[in-house]
Amino acid sequence: MEAITQDDVFLILKLIEESKYDELHLEIGDLKLDVKKQGRGPSVADTQSFAEESAVPSPPVVFPADAAERDLSDSAKAGMDENDLIPIKASMLGTFYRAPKPGAPPFVKVGQDITADDTVCIVEVMKLFNTVKAGVNGRIARICAEDGEMVEYQQTLFLVEGADDLDEKKRKSA
Amino acid sequence: MGISRVFVANRGEIALRVIRACRDLGIETVVAVSEADRESSPAREADRAVCIGPPQAINSYLKVETIIAAALGSGADAIHPGYGFLAEQPDLVDACEEHNLIFIGPRADHIRTMGDKLLAREMVASLGIPVIPGSAMVATGDEAQEAAERLGFPVLLKAAAGGGGKGIKTVTAAADLSDVFDEASCEARAAFGDDRIFIERYIPNARHIEVQIMGDSRGTVVHFFERDCSIQRRYQKMLEEAPSPAVNEGLRKEICDAAVRIARHIGYENAGTVEFVFDQKECRFYFLEMNTRIQVEHPITEMITGVDLVKEQIGIASGNPLSVAQDDITMSGHAIECRINAESPHRAFHPSPGRIDRWKPPEGEGIRIDSHCYPGYVVSPYYDSLLAKLVTWGTDRSDAIKKMHHALEHFIVSGIDTTVPFHQYILHNREYLKGDIHTRWIEDTLLREYGQ
Repeated sequence: MEAITQDDVFLILKLIEESKYDELHLEIGDLKLDVKKQGRGPSVADTQSFAEESAVPSPPVVFPADAAERDLSDSAKAGMDENDLIPIKASMLGTFYRAPKPGAPPFVKVGQDITADDTVCIVEVMKLFNTVKAGVNGRIARICAEDGEMVEYQQTLFLVEGADDLDEKKRKSA
Repeated sequence: MGISRVFVANRGEIALRVIRACRDLGIETVVAVSEADRESSPAREADRAVCIGPPQAINSYLKVETIIAAALGSGADAIHPGYGFLAEQPDLVDACEEHNLIFIGPRADHIRTMGDKLLAREMVASLGIPVIPGSAMVATGDEAQEAAERLGFPVLLKAAAGGGGKGIKTVTAAADLSDVFDEASCEARAAFGDDRIFIERYIPNARHIEVQIMGDSRGTVVHFFERDCSIQRRYQKMLEEAPSPAVNEGLRKEICDAAVRIARHIGYENAGTVEFVFDQKECRFYFLEMNTRIQVEHPITEMITGVDLVKEQIGIASGNPLSVAQDDITMSGHAIECRINAESPHRAFHPSPGRIDRWKPPEGEGIRIDSHCYPGYVVSPYYDSLLAKLVTWGTDRSDAIKKMHHALEHFIVSGIDTTVPFHQYILHNREYLKGDIHTRWIEDTLLREYGQ
């Protein structure tokens, strides 16, 4: 594959600037490029420096459908074994909300202890607000969906370190 | 009002058909998939697949709110419903309007009018187009008896909310009527939430002939000639052809004009099919019903006219005029479609779900395959059994039949039972070859010979 030149990048930026889309997600071989208009995500300067390298680290993914991919990169960072964590999954497709209403504190944060009956989030379908219970005792290890974005049926919303694992850890450290 | 991303609210071959049409038009696609369809061909070919729910259609493909939420959440600006599922659900059209999504199909009120078979009959009769002799709504067994005696037995009891061959019962003798009436209204209430029943005279030796029409937002309505769908089993079409071997030029003009008049009268937009019953003895046709969607058998019309009907649907929904004028629509040659289903013909067409081991559809000039199957694909028990639509085109009917013989012979599929051998059986039959058949021919004649 031919390397993308700076001119190409300027051309791409110009295209998105003039288009009605807010964001662009481009993948050519190893190169991944994400551009967002409203200043979220990588800035123009970031993108330029991407162009000068041949392989570029993947910036934050744009689509929530890529949640699985994101889980992997996050767990690599945290050095945790994915398999030990228990997923809390969406029981329906809808919009994921971490808090009961805009501006309110979220139901749960990373590191927070939860019991099975605790509400962890809301999934909204056409103004119908469905509260999601944890269904498991433990500690929130990771939040896998973006607030206000669509989550699919059976998409992992949270990963939980199970209470049993936590107990074992305590025993080991003691 | 351009469309840049279409949400495909369907599965199987029709989802793939819509995805490919969009791709040709430079339009992005997002396809709804149930948990059972995550690995399906449409999921792979669409730009994105969104899992909308569990395998049962009632909790996935039939949920209006979920479809709307998924379309909005994935940034689509239009929804294509395919056929079946929500294609003729006016609530989906209303919800699209409410959320500024374009519904690629007709208006909600047209779906409602034509979905009510009694209302549709009345409307069509008011245009002076013949409808099958029948009754208004019959509310009691006595009313049914009176209407049936006036019409003469045998009669058909039909659910007003039925259609597509569903909610129909035949009564041959007066003594059975009251029991069948009670049964029919109970079943109609359970199936459609509407127990209104009406009665029609049964027309023996009839053919099912339908006219493809299309209307745009400028009020232009055109037809794409007729299809003959008389090869049916229990009101379900098995094999269709275009043009009809039983229709001459004069009759063709008459039924096509009638279909266009109906659509024009209501200002119909997008693709629709006006179905007629053709009484071969009297050489008369009667309006049966109108379907407000793209139909399974649309490819045979595409083969003889050269017009891509799905692309026309998308163009019309975008606000464009029809790309063809009536005078430009001509027909050439003959096309046949065999519906290849996962069913066992030797076991009374029992469904045959399971894993497809080998799958190699025939190829060649004049052969078209619309299918979502591949080797290793698991035919799920949750959905209808259509595996592929095998279509052949020939310079005339016998050429199309010859190609179909060849195509069926070279259709390699194993692991599940299919209707391929039964189609071969039909195509070898002398009456079929002569075109001398009717809508009950499969059940009354061919299946007896087949050993059912």
